[in-house]
Amino acid sequence: MEELRKSFHHELDEVRLSLARLAASVIEAIPRATNVLLSGDLEGAEYLILADDEIDSRSIALEDRCYQLLALQAPVAGELRQLISILKMVGEIERSADLTVNIAKAARRIYGHSLDPKLRGIITKMGEQAQQLFTSALQSFEENDVAIAGAIDDMDSYLDSLQRQFVQAIFESHAAGSIDLQVAIQLAVVARFYERIGDHAVNIGERVLFIVSGWRPENKGAARHDAKTAYDDTYGIPLPHSDNTEG
Amino acid sequence: MLFVGIAIGLIVGALLSHQFFTRRGANKANSESIEFSEELSPSNTEIHDAELNAVLNAIPLGVVVTDEQGNVVLGNYIAAGVGILRHIDVLVDEATERIIKKSRATGSVVRETLELFGPPPRTVVIEAMPLEGDKSIAIIEDISERTRIDAVRTDFVANISHELKTPVGALSILADTIRDEDDLKVIHRLSSKMVKESNRMAKTIDDLLELSRIELDGSVIPEPVSIFSVVAESIDRMAYFAAQAGIGIVSQLPEDDCVVKGDRLQLVSAVSNLIDNAVKYSEKGDKVTVRVSPLEETVDVSVSDEGIGIPQSDIDRIFERFYRVDRARSRGTGGTGLGLSIVRHVMNNHGGSVNVTSQEGEGSTFVLTLLRPSGNTAVNNI
Repeated sequence: MEELRKSFHHELDEVRLSLARLAASVIEAIPRATNVLLSGDLEGAEYLILADDEIDSRSIALEDRCYQLLALQAPVAGELRQLISILKMVGEIERSADLTVNIAKAARRIYGHSLDPKLRGIITKMGEQAQQLFTSALQSFEENDVAIAGAIDDMDSYLDSLQRQFVQAIFESHAAGSIDLQVAIQLAVVARFYERIGDHAVNIGERVLFIVSGWRPENKGAARHDAKTAYDDTYGIPLPHSDNTEG
Repeated sequence: MLFVGIAIGLIVGALLSHQFFTRRGANKANSESIEFSEELSPSNTEIHDAELNAVLNAIPLGVVVTDEQGNVVLGNYIAAGVGILRHIDVLVDEATERIIKKSRATGSVVRETLELFGPPPRTVVIEAMPLEGDKSIAIIEDISERTRIDAVRTDFVANISHELKTPVGALSILADTIRDEDDLKVIHRLSSKMVKESNRMAKTIDDLLELSRIELDGSVIPEPVSIFSVVAESIDRMAYFAAQAGIGIVSQLPEDDCVVKGDRLQLVSAVSNLIDNAVKYSEKGDKVTVRVSPLEETVDVSVSDEGIGIPQSDIDRIFERFYRVDRARSRGTGGTGLGLSIVRHVMNNHGGSVNVTSQEGEGSTFVLTLLRPSGNTAVNNI
């Protein structure tokens, strides 16, 4: 039995390695995007935008590889969870790479406008925190470490609070007249991009949790919903918007 | 590149002799007649796998040997990525695999430079070549430090010529204009500009001289210096400028004075340079805090401000001579770009260190760490 599955295990390892490499590319792209934004480096922006095509191509290749393995090897249990989770994680990583491109594009739009030190300081912090979150996500995936995966969510709340601080600082700078409305709006959107990168890292952590334990955080909400609908008086007629896919 | 050469030589040599010895061992088992190979070999010691691994791990380069399928058959700690950032390990590993593949496909040496952002930024050179018997070898060299030093050197040359040429250029243009000018008002305006430019240049030269004096003074003749008096004198020097800029200097001192061994003048120069910077990069109404914290074996003197802070991307470079975060601003503040180099050299001379933490928009803190002479903690002990 073991001999028969040997090549499958080898392929599964390769798929895992490809995913880790994809994630590493994004971890590398996050500080680059921050630097592009802070230093108005148009060349760096161009580099990031072009590099995303490569990430897209690698994501598609990895996705196809997963489909192939699913179809040809019909994995079960932990291995099935792994392949399906990797499929989902590819999407999270690919989307995060797009977000770094969005930051680079925003940097092009605000090119030539100087930002005050307070704004720059918070942007630096947000970039560092987003990178830290993604690094933890990679580590939890590589080592199947549930403890790290669980910690990502807490780390994300710091990123969220940075985003709120940043929006506050944008208002102050705008009120003081040091940035105009256009720049203010671009910056608010940039803060959102960082915050979303953090969310994707959290999702990767949750997927690692699922690989290891089969449990998803959404299970809680789903259980609540199921408990409610078990005693409902609708006689099985589904309520509008009663899908239980999200927690 | 020398390292790479040596490493390749060593490894190829080790591999070949490894194979040679193994074969010889096998032959010996078959027949007893191959005595001459004993003389061919340089010594009787064979290199075992464990020794080979130890040799590889002693080399400050990453080494990977792969078989015909691309599986790693030999590798050392550095190639395994111990000590570099996690995602950089992954990226270097990926690049190595790709470059080995390329070199196998072309049958030639393939060399690529990988520039990674980090932070901290890393520059890694990966060189792969085919070996005999379908094996491949890749050498991974981290040249980040060399790249950094190169950047420092080229920037220094560019900056020093800028710092000296700009005032000279301004002076000659101003003088040229004055020569053909009759209007007394204009002459007045131009000549006061000349005074300003020549003062600026004199200050740069003064600082350069002080820096080279401190650099030459490698061996400080140590005498006991009271930290309180150093701090008091430094604050005294800067008090006037700070008052003019509307910035308060606060000192937080422990109950007992601390004594270090060193050169009093140099230490005052270091602390007052830090206060000078703190004042320059603060806004009106801000506060600069000078704190003395005695620790077990060291004394920390920290200077904190609530100013604009230092961008993360520049923080590693601010101690370089003439390095400026923002040229436009520093011309306005009248600095020479040498202050922090002086601080760093003073600390080197004293066997201490200087560290900085900074957050843009919140301020910066510079900490000087000085060694305490063992046994002497208070002034009265001397």
